[in-house]
Amino acid sequence: MNKKIEIMAPVGSFEALHAAINAGADSVYFGIEQLNMRARAANNFTTEDLKEIVKICQEKDVKTYLTLNTVMYDHDITLMKTICDTAKEAGLTAVILSDIAALQYARSIGLEVHMSTQTNITNMEAVKFYAQFSDVIVLARELTLKQIESITNQIKEEDIRGPKGELIQIEIFVHGALCVAISGKCYMSLATYNSSANRGVCLQNCRRSYKLIDDETGDELRVENKYIMSPKDLCTIGFIDKLIDAGVSVFKIEGRGRAPEYVDTVVRCYKEAVESYYDNTYTPEKIAVWTTKLESVFNRGFWHGGYYLGKQLGEWSGKYGSHATEEKQYLGRITNYYNQKEVGEFHLETGEITTGDTLLVTGPTTGVVRATVEEIHTDDGTVVKAVKGDIITIKVPTKVRKNDKFFKLIDVAKCQK
Amino acid sequence: MPKIIHYRNKCIGCNSCVEHAPSFWNINKHDGKSDLHGAKNKNGVFVTEITMLDLEKNKKAAKDCPVRIIKVEE
Repeated sequence: MNKKIEIMAPVGSFEALHAAINAGADSVYFGIEQLNMRARAANNFTTEDLKEIVKICQEKDVKTYLTLNTVMYDHDITLMKTICDTAKEAGLTAVILSDIAALQYARSIGLEVHMSTQTNITNMEAVKFYAQFSDVIVLARELTLKQIESITNQIKEEDIRGPKGELIQIEIFVHGALCVAISGKCYMSLATYNSSANRGVCLQNCRRSYKLIDDETGDELRVENKYIMSPKDLCTIGFIDKLIDAGVSVFKIEGRGRAPEYVDTVVRCYKEAVESYYDNTYTPEKIAVWTTKLESVFNRGFWHGGYYLGKQLGEWSGKYGSHATEEKQYLGRITNYYNQKEVGEFHLETGEITTGDTLLVTGPTTGVVRATVEEIHTDDGTVVKAVKGDIITIKVPTKVRKNDKFFKLIDVAKCQK
Repeated sequence: MPKIIHYRNKCIGCNSCVEHAPSFWNINKHDGKSDLHGAKNKNGVFVTEITMLDLEKNKKAAKDCPVRIIKVEE
């Protein structure tokens, strides 16, 4: 039996970091400063945050990977080196990169290197080349399962090992957004808005609806789906057995720009799915439950299979933004938590809460906690409904903290009726 | 006089402003972000006055900034 699959979670905030750890992620990946593929993110981590993240993860025995995978110019080299030095000093597990300048420097200081999907590794000879420097290789997202399996088999047969002396591990994306371009090598945002995807500032104009008009005649070409450049999101929950059998070692989840509850839900689903595989309880019934859960958080509709199953391309999203079946509505902040009673005190700044509602609490140390409202208490006793301005107490079995935000989860389908 | 306001912290070091107005901008070799020459630092926001002659090229720098952190006020 191979080593157990590693589930790698995307982390773009401290809330998402704790959500990932609490959900059982084996590793997390994140970016700092501007040399990562989510450079536009509002709450991008800093060099100081790097040390904090590594410390938190080391205590929980979770591996840490830093993305340093943008296109790099001469003026970036000093910063790249500073980031690598800081990562090495902090005890980061490995850096995920694509530019050979970063590769060369990271190796020169003994920092473990993983090749990013941005390197577009699609064949065995490329794997052999990068095995000189890298222990883990993220393959391009456009390979089929057969191609992936052929690569992992050849790694074993030819005994291809990385700098650590272990067989090269293959990592693939299992869930999340896909690009219309090959593994992010897209020029569209740069060409139209001078905002380069390959510097981490993709404006995602491929996600919008478009018309095709013949300039000469003014005739509009009828396109059934106007979202002709926006692929649905990859979802592999229904065939992770095939991915494991193909010899993949690391399951990577896309979404460093996503909310903590996305990280929580997606990590939990894939973690359970992998465990079910090893327990021989990976069943269609369970897959249906996980799929429903995955549909509740951000998604553009799912392409069950992606390129891996070699299905004909044509899985376009069909509408702008998320198809999530649940939305969260901000209600207020936690004002206290009583550990012994497992009760939280909530200040309802807006909206209302009724018994039976599902609450979502998020915070930089808490991560994500879900709770069903069984009873609502106020100074006047038990109530069925609380409204804006009320200070209430509700039982929350998992510890939440003062100043954590809380939200009500709303079923989108019910709202639209 | 017109002035340039530069919210430097969010710079991603794409080099566009340097291409448009190299006498006003350069990329700092230390942290890879853009520096506005002669600007005063007001809590991380850099401001400098410019002449009308230099307006056009800096407007182009502002227009092409992918993270919209350059403002030119006339």
